[in-house]
Amino acid sequence: MTAPSLDDFVALSVDLTAFGETDLLGTGLGSPYLAKLRGACGDAVVTALFAAHQAARAESAGDPDGFDRALRYRIFSDDCLGPVARNVIKLWYAGTWYGLPPEWTDSYGAQSAAQTSTVTAASYQEGLLWRAIGANPPGAKAPGFGSWAEPPRIDDRYLKGARR
Amino acid sequence: MTDPTINSRDDLIRYLDAALALEHATIPVYLTAYYSIHSTTNSDAAHIIRVTAVEEMLHLTLVANVMNAVGGSPDLTRPGFVPSYPAYLPDGEDDFTVDLRPFSPEAVETFCKIERPRKAPDPQARLMAVRPEESLLVGSPTASGIRFYSIGEFYEEIMEGLQRLAAEDPKLFSGDESRQVGPEQFYSGGGMIIEVHDLASACRALQLISEQGEGLDTGVYDAEGELAHYYRFRQLQFGRYYQKGDKADAPSGPELDIDWDEVWKVKVSPKLADYPPGSELAAAAAAFNTDYGAFLTLLTRAFNGEPDRLQDAVWWMFRLRDSVNRLIRNPLPGSDGLHAGPTFEVTGTGGALS
Repeated sequence: MTAPSLDDFVALSVDLTAFGETDLLGTGLGSPYLAKLRGACGDAVVTALFAAHQAARAESAGDPDGFDRALRYRIFSDDCLGPVARNVIKLWYAGTWYGLPPEWTDSYGAQSAAQTSTVTAASYQEGLLWRAIGANPPGAKAPGFGSWAEPPRIDDRYLKGARR
Repeated sequence: MTDPTINSRDDLIRYLDAALALEHATIPVYLTAYYSIHSTTNSDAAHIIRVTAVEEMLHLTLVANVMNAVGGSPDLTRPGFVPSYPAYLPDGEDDFTVDLRPFSPEAVETFCKIERPRKAPDPQARLMAVRPEESLLVGSPTASGIRFYSIGEFYEEIMEGLQRLAAEDPKLFSGDESRQVGPEQFYSGGGMIIEVHDLASACRALQLISEQGEGLDTGVYDAEGELAHYYRFRQLQFGRYYQKGDKADAPSGPELDIDWDEVWKVKVSPKLADYPPGSELAAAAAAFNTDYGAFLTLLTRAFNGEPDRLQDAVWWMFRLRDSVNRLIRNPLPGSDGLHAGPTFEVTGTGGALS
């Protein structure tokens, strides 16, 4: 079995987080997060997760609604892959790997790195949640005096046609 | 004997305009190296580079104050203000280009060349002929085909010109005082800002630039007891800090902790053309350039009668920092594993302030 690739992890993460590849890689944490995922769940589960994501992409053939349904069917409602995918989302947004629920580890095995932990000292400040709410992580990435008087910058693709 | 090249207020302003471009041109070089360092590593090196970059920002502001004092209008948005890297700096011997590089021995070598203290062998040797193929960051703006032996000599020429013109023209320092940037607008930034109203304060401002940078013959430590930039960077080459009393070639302070591998390997002097056309990454690089242009527009306004705008410049800089970090952590497709970086390809229009 080949090791799960960073490319596949980033492709999955783009669809799970709604952040672009440039933003995800721009945290500098793609590789450490993939290593954490593998350490916490084992390569068999990670490989199955990536395969399910690719299958969902393939069967929906570019139709967004179909893809949404396929993700829910193949991943989020799956007893094994669902909790892992939700954890990947939380990992990117909060920078913390949350321990999987006991029902999951009872069924699929407890790996050595399964416990709740921060991944690196940088993962808190790189959490996507700060970008998502247009704020800086408290205590890091100082935004500069008076910056709070400015409206947050929101990418056009998130505005869905709304005006600034 | 070489004739003076500053013979009028217009000559002087053209020199100060070149000085403004020169001070700015070093900043992208230092920032690229600084942000290429993996966060939480190489703190000694990161600190040295950061402090130097911040002092260059002080120098930029000091030059703007001198320019305003003699009735000039600093313009950071004119075409060509931001050089196309790699670019040449003036130097007496073989040419060297200044690249945008990740933190590396090559980058530090360039920093040392930029800041190298170079007293011309005699005053006549200050001005040198330019080889025709060279594109210079600082040639003489008034005498074509002439470049300077070093940045220190370039500032010497300006100070001598200032003194000559001030003696001839009692109204030389007639600029609007409200255009001066003072300590209430520029603080915690590499030293005390000097407001310029007369020859003495103009010379103090330019002297500070010279001493903090490569200096002339002031030695390892300057008059304020600070290490000149050149010697700060030499510490990175020696792997050891200077302490008071040290000779230039033998620092004897504590060792520096340097790990050249804890660095994002940014492509040297990247261009937008290196980015995959139409990609998300190319858009991010282009957006940075647009933001940088808008930032230079903001600074231009701050230096043209709205000094309070420097407060906005602070959060603009933090915004730029976040964009640079994002770019540098992305691999640049088709570049053999090298990473993306800001290209600083800014058009002269400066972009709109949002």
